[in-house]
Amino acid sequence: MIVEDSAIQAEILRRILVAEGYSVIIAKDGAEGLSKAKGLKPDLVISDINMPEMNGFELCRHLKNDADTLKTPVILLTSLSVPTDVISALESGADNFIVKPYEKSHLLSRIEYIFLNRELQEHPQSQNAVEIHFSGQQYVITSEKKQILDLLISTYENAVHKNNELISVQKKLEILNEELEQKVKSVQTLNEDLIIQQGVAEDARNQAEMASRIKTEFLANMSHELRTPLNSINGFSEVLYDETFGPLNDKQKKYIGNVLSSGKHLLLLINQILDTAKVESGKMKLTLASLPTKHLLFEIIQLVEDMVNKKRLKMIIEIEEDLPDIEGDELKFKQIIYNLLSNAIKFTNDDGEIGLSAKKTGPSVEIEVEVWDTGIGIAAENMEKIFEGFFRVDTPYSRLTEGTGLGLPLSRKLVELHGGILTAESEGLDKGTRVRITLPIISGGE
Amino acid sequence: MGRKVVVVDDNLNNLLLEKDLLEIAGFEVFEADNAADAIALVKEHNPVVIVMDVRLPDIRGTEVARILQQDKGTRDIPIVFVTASVLADGRLEIDSIPNSGFISKPINTRTFVQEIMKFIK
Repeated sequence: MIVEDSAIQAEILRRILVAEGYSVIIAKDGAEGLSKAKGLKPDLVISDINMPEMNGFELCRHLKNDADTLKTPVILLTSLSVPTDVISALESGADNFIVKPYEKSHLLSRIEYIFLNRELQEHPQSQNAVEIHFSGQQYVITSEKKQILDLLISTYENAVHKNNELISVQKKLEILNEELEQKVKSVQTLNEDLIIQQGVAEDARNQAEMASRIKTEFLANMSHELRTPLNSINGFSEVLYDETFGPLNDKQKKYIGNVLSSGKHLLLLINQILDTAKVESGKMKLTLASLPTKHLLFEIIQLVEDMVNKKRLKMIIEIEEDLPDIEGDELKFKQIIYNLLSNAIKFTNDDGEIGLSAKKTGPSVEIEVEVWDTGIGIAAENMEKIFEGFFRVDTPYSRLTEGTGLGLPLSRKLVELHGGILTAESEGLDKGTRVRITLPIISGGE
Repeated sequence: MGRKVVVVDDNLNNLLLEKDLLEIAGFEVFEADNAADAIALVKEHNPVVIVMDVRLPDIRGTEVARILQQDKGTRDIPIVFVTASVLADGRLEIDSIPNSGFISKPINTRTFVQEIMKFIK
């Protein structure tokens, strides 16, 4: 018979016993247990201790004091939290203890043992009372020696078992602890690595910033240092050439003229190289403003008028009446247009034609400026080379010494900085050239 | 006639070129290669125009301008700045000075004097 107030616990235990071939009765509390025991005379009572109405100890005592149930072995289920439980169990005359939570095999072997030893319990000897003191209290134990031993051994067994469990859990804990420490250590190491990496990255960044600053300063200094003496060369040569301080003979004029044109070429080259270096190292900053596009185009056209007339070229201008102003860098814009026009003039033979057209493009976010000529054109295989830099052409129409080969590539880069595109087309040698640029009305550049 | 001009530039070649061009055109030219001398010359000779490089060894040309304009005697003399970076941030500085203008470097020797004369009243 199982006496247990928890239906679940009772059911679990019932199933275990039934599986072993025992038949099981269940009582929900001490009182029911007592009456059922008297009535049904079970071979064994397994009882919980904490129950309402009548607890396990009381039940046991009643059973042992009643002639009908005196011989029924009683196993008490307890959590063994208090040492006095053992004494109470002895006092009540229980035959055995099982500690909750119990191991199934342990319980079953206890039950088997009890049934095996029933014979001995058939003849209970006279009860000798034993007095003990424990924890400041006096107890009278009247259980059989065998009972006492059984109880104590089962208690001891349970204690050792619990202890072993505890030790194994502790061991597991130690292992987990070690693992944790390892993990913590490796996290710390990772952290230290990370901090070092951060330091390295910051150093690298500082160095890069410093290098960038040095580069900017260098470009600015170079710019100034190169241009200053060159401006003197050109200035003095020009004044001499103009015979401001008196006439020159033919040779003097020729020579000083050569000095002047070489100086101007050199200045152009230096300016273009420095500009290209600036653009390529990302240091070219545009000074954006609203540009009077039409006005500026006419300005440059006027600038090249002399060159056009000298070669007796016909210049066709088609600038849209309501050409919108664009957002851009005035100097750079003028530079680009001047480069395209001077190229057209340079590479067109005398009495040829050149033209400039400018209009708003369809969707009205860009303007398109096209400079075309009827000159020497570009061979298909050279189309890419003209943008690479230093590609110069030696033809009967333009002396090799005139251009620098940097103007067009630089113009393209400047157009791109504004957020626009520069393209060149030619049907081939002697078939003329068209260079087209588009520029956004609101700058898409830096 | 001898209308007087003070020319200020720390580069002696520039100074020589500008002086010669102006003298050929009939001006009496006084040169200075630093701010202190420039201010002294202006106060002494009261020129019709001052031609000044923005980059001077001791202070910026625009600062000199401010100093001259605080003095009643020199306040009204027009100042023409010669600068390599016409459209850069320096432009705002120049624009903020009344009675001033600028021409770009390198100077066009053929039009230099005409351009300066535009500033003379």
